[in-house]
Amino acid sequence: MPADMIYLRLKQKIRVRPGAELTIGDLAQLIGEDELCKKIEKIIIHRINKKDKNLVVIDVMKVIKAIQNTSYVEVQIIGPTQTIIEVQISKKNLAPVYFVFIWLLLFIGAALAIMNFHEDVSMREVHQQIYKIVTGIDNPKPLLLQIPYSFGLGFGMILFFNHLFKKRFNEEPSPLEVEMFNYQQDLDQYVIVHEKQEDGTKDS
Amino acid sequence: MNAQIILVMIIGFAEGIAVGAGFVAFLSVLGIIPRLTQITKTRHLIRYYEWAIIVGAVIASWLSLRNPVLGLPRAIMVPIGLGAGVFIGMLAAALTEVLNVLPILTKRIGFIDKILLLLMAIVLGKVFGSLFHWTIFVDGGF
Repeated sequence: MPADMIYLRLKQKIRVRPGAELTIGDLAQLIGEDELCKKIEKIIIHRINKKDKNLVVIDVMKVIKAIQNTSYVEVQIIGPTQTIIEVQISKKNLAPVYFVFIWLLLFIGAALAIMNFHEDVSMREVHQQIYKIVTGIDNPKPLLLQIPYSFGLGFGMILFFNHLFKKRFNEEPSPLEVEMFNYQQDLDQYVIVHEKQEDGTKDS
Repeated sequence: MNAQIILVMIIGFAEGIAVGAGFVAFLSVLGIIPRLTQITKTRHLIRYYEWAIIVGAVIASWLSLRNPVLGLPRAIMVPIGLGAGVFIGMLAAALTEVLNVLPILTKRIGFIDKILLLLMAIVLGKVFGSLFHWTIFVDGGF
């Protein structure tokens, strides 16, 4: 029966430089007897090498194994059971040309999409009809309605993404930020499951 | 004769229920109303927003079916157009195409920090496309 027990909580995700040596202290928070924790924190668990590319997943089992190789303690695990390690390979910035290209692509695509939408829902006839109902005048080109409409369109999108009032109104995340977060979580989840499978086949 | 009238009324009513329910379901999926209450912090007033939508939908369906002439001054078209535009803008923003494409796009090509600029490309594209549509496209081009 081990006399000592520590609580261990892996971090969800950490970012490191290539070639770094990861100790348990980097990966996890420990609670327990001070001296013991300090000793365990110094255990090296992984060395980032070229083969790792930019993502490494460390499973909690590997951490426990490493701890038990050095000292005889009971480990209580709290929280996530694996840590994703993102190796920050210095990113070469894409040329501004690409950015301009993508910007134009989105610009033209958005313009085309809104025109298709208008035609699809017969927005022209609807506008003409609204104009007729409200003013009683037949106008095949009710620009008085349509130009404010066009600017309102942009304003509505910005309003939805809440970039104008971000600082002023609230600290809640905008839908785009939530969507980014969800996407990142899906990616992380995929990486965890995927890497685990690879490890499993290697071990057996 | 009477039976025919009753049948037609039942059909009309049933149609209305189906379309109305569909309309509300559509709005719910897009989440525009929660978004607006979130921005303005008026959660407690959400009841009234529901009624605004119901009243608006009923009045508009009546107007579009009967085609009356209100004979209001032309200037009133400006706020109507602006309001319609803002609503459609939020609708376009809420559609998942934009919400799903941007995170993937920015992540893939590593433009995370420039997501706002790319968003502006879409916003400006919509405004430009709309203006182009109404001023030039409807006349059959240049």
